[in-house]
Amino acid sequence: MKNLYRPIESVIEDIKKETPTITTYRFRPKEPITFAAGQFVELTVPGVGEAPFTPSSNPNVTDTMEITIMRVGAVTEALEGMKVGDTVGIRGPYGNGYDLSDFEGKEILIVGGGVGLAPLRSLILALFDHVERYKKISIRYGARTPADIVYKDLLPAWARMKNTEVLQTIDEPHPDWSGTVGVVTVLLDDLPFDLDTAVACCCGPPIMLKFVNLKLLEKGFRPENIYHSMERNMSCGLGKCGHCMMGEYYICKDGPVMTAAQVAKFEDPF
Amino acid sequence: MKEVFIGRENLRKLLGRWAKDYRVYVPVTFDIMNNEETPDYELVRDEVPENISLAGAALAHTPKSFLFFPREVVARYPSSAPEADVTAPPTVLVGPRACDVRGLAKFDKVYWSTEYFTEEYDDPFYIEKRKNTYIVSVDCTSAKDTCFCTEVGGGPYAEDGFDLNLSPVEGGFVLAVGSENGEKLLAGNDDLVGEPLPEHLEERERTRNSVTEAVRRQNREFFSGAPDYDKMDLEAAPEAWAYVAQNCVACSACNRACPTCTCFLLVDQRAKGGYERTRNWDTCLSIGFARVGGGANARPNLPDRLENRLRCKFEYSRDRYGLVTCTGCGRCIDVCMGGIDMREAIKHVLTEKAKA
Repeated sequence: MKNLYRPIESVIEDIKKETPTITTYRFRPKEPITFAAGQFVELTVPGVGEAPFTPSSNPNVTDTMEITIMRVGAVTEALEGMKVGDTVGIRGPYGNGYDLSDFEGKEILIVGGGVGLAPLRSLILALFDHVERYKKISIRYGARTPADIVYKDLLPAWARMKNTEVLQTIDEPHPDWSGTVGVVTVLLDDLPFDLDTAVACCCGPPIMLKFVNLKLLEKGFRPENIYHSMERNMSCGLGKCGHCMMGEYYICKDGPVMTAAQVAKFEDPF
Repeated sequence: MKEVFIGRENLRKLLGRWAKDYRVYVPVTFDIMNNEETPDYELVRDEVPENISLAGAALAHTPKSFLFFPREVVARYPSSAPEADVTAPPTVLVGPRACDVRGLAKFDKVYWSTEYFTEEYDDPFYIEKRKNTYIVSVDCTSAKDTCFCTEVGGGPYAEDGFDLNLSPVEGGFVLAVGSENGEKLLAGNDDLVGEPLPEHLEERERTRNSVTEAVRRQNREFFSGAPDYDKMDLEAAPEAWAYVAQNCVACSACNRACPTCTCFLLVDQRAKGGYERTRNWDTCLSIGFARVGGGANARPNLPDRLENRLRCKFEYSRDRYGLVTCTGCGRCIDVCMGGIDMREAIKHVLTEKAKA
């Protein structure tokens, strides 16, 4: 029997600063780790502990894995002290991820807020690998200020992909910004989608998900077609430790991708 | 089911024989500070203890302590560090009650279930201990005033889930064999056991019936008019739960005393040759249990956490595993320093719900 709790040693191969608090790391695990877009891994900083992250790299690339991480706690702070060549641990992947075969022939709305674009990037890259299979990919991204935007250098290239558009907003007016201003829901007023079949994939802070969910339902998206990347405390990632439980769901096992239909019965699921 | 009679002295001899091949834990009574005698598990070393206590109701500790340690090393890294030890010595645990045996079903679901998980989710640390631990359960001969097993689908004696079961009767015990492992424990000990007499079996029935009746009687006021234990819906106004939680101080004693609280936290630390990861019992009443990096917390308020705990027992586990995981052992009531009685809590919530 395999030891579930033991991480696979992984070397930091590249570190790229996205914003003052957000960094993208590229890891090379000693054994390849295969994941599906939306699944997550437990990242170990030796001696400090583990935290769950959804990779932000293309799931079709298996020898390395990128994760975009915001500094918020003990593990992420310790990670910031590490350098290229240092070793961390990775366990996983865990959770359900997106079923891309279900997205074929459909219009896909991707809504990200802040560092929430990071997990969605792995979905976006997976979609781009077979961009012809999807009717439309509309990426709508909100950040607090221009300085908080992640993947600044990638976004223009994404917008040039076939059948793809990228819409952006920032929370408040800023001298460096000439585009849309307002929280991400301002990008959801105009939704020219086939609402019976279109899917929406959302990731961001809890308050954002709450209002994006309301907005999409109001606009007529079907609850079973709205996917949220749920954030919960996760210690094991294995459906056992209980930290992520929400009613009868264990977000690490039944999620982290949950539909609006699944979470509808909870008063405040985000 | 094979059943034999074993006299008191012969049971002591049998325990002595087991102790040569197994780690044997038996309930013994200790004098503690206030002179109350509380039976708890003790390891049989050279001599089988004199003060074995197989009467009464559930012990202070649940069998989970033997299968899911409060703290254990589950991994070491880097790969040059020695592997975490999964081996478990063959162990005989004498003394779990029916409520404890039922409680193990939850652990089996979470840590060793191919019904809810695929094999790669099997937990070797639990499974090795579970495989190597033989359960010798004991019928309750009396009820604590906090016992309510009969109200949650159980009773004061186990009908399955044990390897051997002891029913105290005059001069000894009726010993029932419940599994192949039970057969194994009994093999070669024919000199110590005999056919049970009809009066032994009659006495067992009498005791079982009278304890069952006693538990039912003392719980009538709590559960009269309540829905069946497996059909509870405890979703109620926040005020109802706030009332229930007013004396809760989030000490988490109930979590620790519970035979079906399975939750844990992984903690990493520096150790010889690198680092080690320990698995530690964790408790959903703790304020940080659901808190994520950055500070967001799904259950920052104590009443929400107590609600989560009770609804986990009656609703969430049922909906997830098909198993109501309150076994009515009463320990959460025994250990609560705020005097919170889970039965009163349920009654209050259901009453308020009915009013709404």
